[in-house]
This record gives sequence, C-alpha cells and structure tokens, in this order.
Amino acid sequence: MKGHTLRGCIGFARTTIGLVTRPYETYRRIVNHGSLWELVPLSVLLACYFAIASLVKTAAFRPFVLTKQFIILAISVCVTYGVTVSLLWCVAKIMKGKGTFRSLALAWGYTLVPTLLWFLITSLLYVLFPPPRTGRPLGILFSALYLSFSTVLFFWKAMLTYLTLRFGMRLDLFRIIAVCGIVGSVMVFYSLGMYHLGIFKIPFI
Amino acid sequence: MNTFKYKNLVSRWRETTELTPQTVGPLTGLYKQVTHRLKIMPIPTLILLSCILVCGVVFLLGPSIASLVSLLQRGF
Repeated sequence: MKGHTLRGCIGFARTTIGLVTRPYETYRRIVNHGSLWELVPLSVLLACYFAIASLVKTAAFRPFVLTKQFIILAISVCVTYGVTVSLLWCVAKIMKGKGTFRSLALAWGYTLVPTLLWFLITSLLYVLFPPPRTGRPLGILFSALYLSFSTVLFFWKAMLTYLTLRFGMRLDLFRIIAVCGIVGSVMVFYSLGMYHLGIFKIPFI
Repeated sequence: MNTFKYKNLVSRWRETTELTPQTVGPLTGLYKQVTHRLKIMPIPTLILLSCILVCGVVFLLGPSIASLVSLLQRGF
C-alpha cells in the first residue's frame, strides 16, 4: 500500500505539472495509464484546504465547531464529486460515449486542481485582504488582478472538462457541449440547494 | 526494430488513432489553429484572454467591479 501511495504521489505531481505544460497529452495519459492512487495526494490537499477554510470561516479556535465545519465541507465535496461524475457518466452514455467509469472519475478528479487552487487562494486573500473592496485606484487594481486570476482558472477548468469528456468518454465537440449543457443545468439546482443549506456560496465543482 | 519498441509503437499508434479527429464543418481550420495554441503551455494564452476580458469588464462596469470582487471573495 505504501508503494502504491508513493507511486500515486509521484504520478500526481507529474500529472499536475503536465496539466499546466501539456494538458492534451497529459489527459491522454491519465485516461489510458492513470491510477486511482493518484487521487490520494489530491484528497490530502483537499483536506488541507478544508482545515484552512474551517479556520477562516469559523474565525475562532473552537475544536467542536472547527471539526463540524471540516466534516461538513469534506462530505459535501465528496458528494458533489460523486454526483458530478455520475451525472457526467449517465449523460455521456446517453450521448453514446465510450469509456470506463474509472477513467472518467480519475480525469474529473484532476479538474478539481484549478477549483482547489481558486478556493485556497480566495480563502487566503480573505484573511490577508478582507472584503469589501473600494472604488479607489488600488481597490480597482486588486479587483482587476483578482478577476484575471479567477478567469484564467475558469478557462483552465473549462479546458480540463473538455479534455475529460474528449478522452474519458470519446465524445466529439458537439456532444461535449450537449453533455455540459445538461449536466450544468442540473448542477445549477444542486448548487442552489448547497447555497440554501449554507455549505457553499460558490459550488466546489 | 526490436519487439519491445514495436509493441510500444503499436500501443502508441492505437492510443493516437482511437479518437477520430475533431471537425467543425467550415470552421475546422480555425478550430485547429485555436486548439494548437492550447495544447502546449496554454496558460500564457489564457492569461492574455482573461486580461482582455477583464479590461472589457472594467470598461463596462467601472468602479462597480469592486462590489463584484467583494461578492466573489466571500464565495468560498
């Protein structure tokens, strides 16, 4: 098990660098040769984010409240991941996609890298430069930089989503757009539910 | 070519050819040009695109961009 985890960590590090430098080839390798053990280091990083987010959201060192917040975040993200992968699988199969659930789950797991990065940086900026932002030149400059950063991550996420469906389910562009449209519509209602429950304001998809 | 290299070549060939190339009708040429830029080191292209988009948003919204960012910052 230690060997698998170590290989998974090395695979995760190598793949994450590949997501930045050569995402197309990296996704081909993820789908064909990836191992589910690569999701272990991702889970550890997610757990670190949950711990930081719990501290920032609670803003008080109360162990019971912090633990409760951590567990709520962890379960919500796991459920969201499961729901998203299942929906993508079902809709892609209806669109005559060919692939395995395992490769789709692994490929979708890697699309959480830009999501995690955004949430982590946003929670840290919340502590360093808490809102609200002002209309002064420095405020507008920060706002422009933050929006640029968010947009880059959003485009990167969109690209990785496309590659997930292209290589994971062997779909073409039009079917990918259709799958994203259908799954996106369902996830809007899911996200509204999460918002009303007070778990996520912006969904951790 | 020895057997190991041949098997690797066949396996790589199968991986590359199992997906039919993407076509978008008359826009296929433009699609290939766009995706060519995104296949290797897409981040600089994405940064350029997002800067253009954000400049447009700042031009349209002006100082109201600050309230949008305040909302986003609370979004985690």
